[in-house]
Amino acid sequence: MEILVLNSGSSSLKFQLIETSPEQIEADSDRVRARGVVEKIGSGEAIISIEAGGKKTKTSEEVLEHRDAVHIAASCLQSSGDLEQDQIEGVGHRIVHGGEQFTQSVLIDDEVLQHIQEAIELAPLHNPHNLKGYLAAREMLPRAKHAAVFDTSFHQTLPRHAFLYGLPYVFYDRLRVRRYGFHGTSHRYVAYRYARLFGKTRRDYKLITCHLGNGCSVCAIDHGRSVDTSMGFTPLEGLLMGTRAGDVDPAAVLHVMAKEELTLHEVSSLLNKHSGLYGLSGISNDMRQLIEQSEKGNDRARAAIDVFCYRVKKYIGAYLATLNGADAVLFTGGIGENAPSVRAQICDGLDSLGIVLDPAKNKAAQGEICRISSDDSACQVWVIPTNEELLIARDTLRCILGLPHP
Amino acid sequence: MVVRLENKAIRSVAVIGGGTMGVGIARVAAGRDIAVYLCEKDAPAAGDSSEALARELDYEMSRWSLTASEKEAVSRRIRVGFEISDAAGADLVIETVSENFELKSRLFTALDAICDKSIIFITNTSTLSISELAAASRRADRFVGLHFLNPATRTAVVEVIRGLATSDATVAAVKDFSRQLGKTPIEVFEYPGYVTTRVMLPMINEAIHVVMEGVASAEDVDTAMKLGYNLEAGPLALADRMGLDEVMHWMEHLFRELGDLKYRPCPLLRKMVRAGRLGVKSGEGFFRYEKAE
Repeated sequence: MEILVLNSGSSSLKFQLIETSPEQIEADSDRVRARGVVEKIGSGEAIISIEAGGKKTKTSEEVLEHRDAVHIAASCLQSSGDLEQDQIEGVGHRIVHGGEQFTQSVLIDDEVLQHIQEAIELAPLHNPHNLKGYLAAREMLPRAKHAAVFDTSFHQTLPRHAFLYGLPYVFYDRLRVRRYGFHGTSHRYVAYRYARLFGKTRRDYKLITCHLGNGCSVCAIDHGRSVDTSMGFTPLEGLLMGTRAGDVDPAAVLHVMAKEELTLHEVSSLLNKHSGLYGLSGISNDMRQLIEQSEKGNDRARAAIDVFCYRVKKYIGAYLATLNGADAVLFTGGIGENAPSVRAQICDGLDSLGIVLDPAKNKAAQGEICRISSDDSACQVWVIPTNEELLIARDTLRCILGLPHP
Repeated sequence: MVVRLENKAIRSVAVIGGGTMGVGIARVAAGRDIAVYLCEKDAPAAGDSSEALARELDYEMSRWSLTASEKEAVSRRIRVGFEISDAAGADLVIETVSENFELKSRLFTALDAICDKSIIFITNTSTLSISELAAASRRADRFVGLHFLNPATRTAVVEVIRGLATSDATVAAVKDFSRQLGKTPIEVFEYPGYVTTRVMLPMINEAIHVVMEGVASAEDVDTAMKLGYNLEAGPLALADRMGLDEVMHWMEHLFRELGDLKYRPCPLLRKMVRAGRLGVKSGEGFFRYEKAE
């Protein structure tokens, strides 16, 4: 079955066309027929990169809204090869927030749509853009079945003691304020991929998965179930990220708000878009640039990297306690897959907890599956590139065929 | 939070007049993914509007509410020019030129000639008659007032003002547009001062009386009202921001139109305006300010 996977952000649309079937899932032989991204949506010079049929193209044109971007995605798939639009039977949508409603991926009907709209309140920075992509795709591909794959659903297995905050219980009752966790599809994917290397399932292992990209989160997976994760009510909690602050004493935020007379909108933008690696370094939210600057002796870049690594280390330590030891720590995401020095700094001094890297293997591992721990490391450490699109395609197929979700 | 997901949303507006309100409205609209054509009378005026817009965006960045790339995206959605004919094709036209009946009615006549009959015209007037202006637009049913408070970028309410012939559909559409801008609309009928000005001005005037009569200092009056009623600013600081000359004009206007003595401008207000103490813009009003330039 041909499944179109859409990941629709505030100003970008990533898409992949994936051919999958129950047999292909079993054999792990799903096929990516095309992939692409439309960046800078809303501008006169959006960048459209497409890879299909062995050809890569990059063009620039006016793309004012998501509808145009979805149109571009659908038509490029048509023109690039042997595919008719009608052949796309399923469309899988990445939806960031599913609230407590969704513990797994679902086909989108009016009721589901209603719940996703209600969850906008919980994820005002993400869900509206995800929905724009869905509405455009529904218009463009009315005969296809559309599925929602949530960032939050994998973490719905969190036990109560991990998801409740120490606020009056009434706010959980009334406003559903709790830890939801995000990046669920990515954590689930790397856990699946790791287990598959040994011909097993994720239910056979205790894993700590570190998704370190522009957004960052760590997850403790106990025999297949997410039992804790660093992102919380929103993707703002936990690790230091590109532009997000991560953990910070709420009283510090209140203090800044009062002293600088900031409005809610201003302080939200401050925490989400002006903080993190960018805010600390004052240079960039891009880890590659910070590493470069730090090597040239820039102390603020050094500080940002140090805070970043220390915080990941702290969470790994915490989740080793949560899981009472882990079989493996897995690194994924742009930084996790491609920044050996960051991985080295995170894992440095964890030997008493059974984590020892092999420096040469770690240095060599960039963007591909690779074990980077030393042979005598009790807890293995691996780099596993994420592939959320694949799981979105498979989940969509399962929804359409009515198959159980793993 | 209500987020519109239908495709009926306004996608382009022409804002005619690039003064404080025009620039503010353009910025708000561009922040909501709406393409804006901001039209001034000539090239130098258009240049001033562009500068004012850049200053506003820099201010927002300094307040952390905007990132560099968001600033770029917002700027890109606003085209500043001085050809009225370029307003044709916009989904909505908003007029914000100075409060001069002749000027506005000429403008609406010209706009009527180039814009499709289905397009709603909005005036930002706060003193002129919507119904009279509507006649000049030759589309009285699709003509409506929309009063943004200053600063348009940071005030969460707008007043939607019906003229005599404004249709229900027009009012509904403009309310939807207001929500699209992230503002809460309230509906008012054409009447001097609408709600926001009519209720606030007498309070400011009364505060000035309290100071004139020596009951309390300007500082204490503002402290009392600010803390006592949880206002973001006291009435005298607010008057300084509006400009005391503006406050006086408004009181005179209400006094003239409604004829009630309660709208008589306080003598201290007159005295300060005569002395050139106009508030923030002159560097001194009830309080002192560092001059902007």
